[in-house]
Amino acid sequence: MEPYKFGVQFRISNSTAQTLQDFIPVFHGWIQRQALAGHLLVDVHDYSHVPHGPGILLVAHEANLNIGEAERSLVYVRKQPATLAETLQVAHAVTKLLTDEHGVNFAANRFEVFINDRLLAPNTAAGAAHWQPMIAQATAGQVVQKPNDSRERLTFVVTRQP
Amino acid sequence: MTWKAKLGSQIPAELGKEIDVYETQMELRKLGKLDEKLFAETRLRRGAYGQRYDNAQRFDGFQTQHLKYPTNLTKGPDTAWDAPGMQRIKIPFGGVSPEQLEALADIAEEYADNILHITTRQDFQLHFVHIEDTPDIMRRLAAVGITTREACGNSVRNVTACPIAGVCRTEAFDVTPYAKALAYFLLGHPDTQDFGRKFKIAFSGCECEACGLVYMHDMGALAQVREGRRGFKLFVGGGLGAVPYQAKVFADFVPVEELFPVAQAMARVFARLGEKQNRARARIKFLIDKLGVPEFQRLVAEERKILPADSRWTSYLPEAAVFQEIPAKPGRQLTGQQPADFAAWLETNRYRQRQAGYAAVTIACPIGDITATQARQLADLARKFCGGNVRTTVEQNLVFRWVSEADLPELYRGLQAIGLHEYGAGTILDITACPGTDTCKLGIASSRGLARELRTRLASKFFALDAAVKGLRIKISGCFNSCGQHHLADIGFYGNSRTISNRKVPHFQVLLGGRWRNNAGSYGLAIGSVPAKNVPVVVERITERYVRDRQGNETFQDFIARIGKAESRRLIEDLMNVPTYEQDPTFYSDWGDPRVFSMGDIGMGECAGEVVSALQFELAAAERLNFEAQLAHEAGDFAKADELAYGSMLQAARGLVHEQWLDVPTAPATVVTEFKTRFAALFQPALATYLLRRYENAAATPTRETAHRLIEEAQLFIEGAYTCSDKLRQQKAATLKK
Repeated sequence: MEPYKFGVQFRISNSTAQTLQDFIPVFHGWIQRQALAGHLLVDVHDYSHVPHGPGILLVAHEANLNIGEAERSLVYVRKQPATLAETLQVAHAVTKLLTDEHGVNFAANRFEVFINDRLLAPNTAAGAAHWQPMIAQATAGQVVQKPNDSRERLTFVVTRQP
Repeated sequence: MTWKAKLGSQIPAELGKEIDVYETQMELRKLGKLDEKLFAETRLRRGAYGQRYDNAQRFDGFQTQHLKYPTNLTKGPDTAWDAPGMQRIKIPFGGVSPEQLEALADIAEEYADNILHITTRQDFQLHFVHIEDTPDIMRRLAAVGITTREACGNSVRNVTACPIAGVCRTEAFDVTPYAKALAYFLLGHPDTQDFGRKFKIAFSGCECEACGLVYMHDMGALAQVREGRRGFKLFVGGGLGAVPYQAKVFADFVPVEELFPVAQAMARVFARLGEKQNRARARIKFLIDKLGVPEFQRLVAEERKILPADSRWTSYLPEAAVFQEIPAKPGRQLTGQQPADFAAWLETNRYRQRQAGYAAVTIACPIGDITATQARQLADLARKFCGGNVRTTVEQNLVFRWVSEADLPELYRGLQAIGLHEYGAGTILDITACPGTDTCKLGIASSRGLARELRTRLASKFFALDAAVKGLRIKISGCFNSCGQHHLADIGFYGNSRTISNRKVPHFQVLLGGRWRNNAGSYGLAIGSVPAKNVPVVVERITERYVRDRQGNETFQDFIARIGKAESRRLIEDLMNVPTYEQDPTFYSDWGDPRVFSMGDIGMGECAGEVVSALQFELAAAERLNFEAQLAHEAGDFAKADELAYGSMLQAARGLVHEQWLDVPTAPATVVTEFKTRFAALFQPALATYLLRRYENAAATPTRETAHRLIEEAQLFIEGAYTCSDKLRQQKAATLKK
């Protein structure tokens, strides 16, 4: 698949972190050791004061990564285009780091994929029909379009057998 | 498919062309054909601003990391091309429509960090934006009627106005249409392109309220009606920054017909006489301080007399006189059952409009931030409840105007569903903070981190606070440059640093007694600097003392004036002490940032813009045209290449003439005649002939060869113009010396 600005969202199933702000030192630590392969980690931003907001944001040149309050989840979204396989690979690497080092667990069998580009991927029936097979192929899961507000990004829910 | 192609005719032609030009300038910069300083000012004038760490250095808590971006390109001096930047988006008078909110939401999501940040001058800002995305951002904004032009740089910045203008109970008249018209009149105006620093304008409808804060602006316009005529009391030379100045009265009454020409004349005087070298003294407040108001008035009057008449000065007036917004529904009184917690929200967030049955509702946006999704849902609520009449505020909130009082409970529930139902607008909870160390290159301490901490602590005891304390305002800046408007707060703070046993400790200077009302009526005074971690206790102590010792209905300002500076300082003196690192290391980190505090990340600010003269811009534009000529030549369109190359010489010649004659027309005949008359002695004759020859003898059908030759000649002509501009500068400097 061609590289695009994909995004992936994983729900956190349980975590020892009490507050969103507990992730601030975690992300600063990642920058200190540039912990994410293929990424130039730049800065941490605290949006914990924004209701339903991005929470704690880790900014990289290649992508943004945040742990948000809404349904307490991890969102990894590409800024520099990458294939969906690459995007998923990095997102999984992030979840593994958080699990191994900080006891944060994720719901592995169900996640969301979105395309952060309304020009290439409008949130319409035609857009969904175009993208769904590609995403199903790349994720090897069952893919259904998320029934969201049509102004939101085209988003798919992916479920996989445990 | 590109956004340019997709949006096509939705983008107004002039804006579209400007953005295309900007995109070409980006290409030229990437090719090394545009100087980085010139490109920096170019992008600043498009609102594309630098951001912290864009010099590719960042202190990570242990060491300064060199951030290795993919390219070594720069977008300004010491500014990495690939480093995330900020995009400021001008919202004249704060007026934003639902369609615009939706576009802003999409852009925040696709190019930034999903957050729309409202600034203290009614703009929006996006952070962590890549420079390559900025042309498409601008196109998508242009398609909904928003320009980012002159949002930064040495230009007329966003024209602000009272967010309740038109619905206010005490205003003289609605300043909205005047603010809007002046904003667009001055936007890109030739007389506003040669400032040494920015120029900020504000409009207020009444004297007693905070309104547009006219006393702290370069030019403030306060609505007045005299003998049935509309006009403005004009103020000049106000400003905060490191050295705050209260504006002075320029004229007691300027009729609306004279507002634009007077503003234009002021711009000319500022461009001509304002400081250009010493950036710290380049704002108009310093010029007025130096000249005195009477001399400034005389110069402006003289300039006014020689301004060529412009129909735009008055053409908007008939429409302005009858300007009115359309509500979504008829105004009806609030009745019936009300949701839980509604009363507290109603008390602080609702303003009863002068129009019966209507309210203006403030939506408290925590530290000015809303998400993309919230922006879309706000757009829906705005359509449903207020006819789309939304304003941003200088306190970093949004105001829905023309809400029928009967709809308030439903609106409240709608806001509750998206997490924006917070009460406390305009109270001690509603803290203003500039970006500070979060994203600003000049930030010293974490203004937003402190704001978050104070909000959390104050919210937990808000209902127990004395009413007098609830009504106080807190404003925080990350440094002395005052973007958080700390001078205007009852309790203000600005970030600084102290060294304790060779370690840096984040501090905040405490300012007490600023007056928000009366259009920023007076500025607070500094009483001492405390470590950042002690600021919450400072707030507690000062407010407790105020509640305990105030006399009757004494205001906070009067209370502070009565107890005096020495006593105020005594109140917090013990809090100025810093424990050793071994005793308490938390003092050595800032709020919300666990890294050891450092001053090493402070960079060169871009607030001031680069000092680039109007002539330099003209010559850069000439070069760009000649570059486009080369592209046309490459594409085999020789007629177009010829025309563009000729155009580039005319542009350069006109730039030179403009140095001496501000109102030079664009007609080639005039440009060429004036160029010959004025620059015969200064311009290298052999190069001048390239323009004169092409003017007199255009090739009937340009060929590959003739077009190519003209492109070469045009480049040489532009080089000649640069040399000539150097000579002009030397002449000017010699004259000034005398």
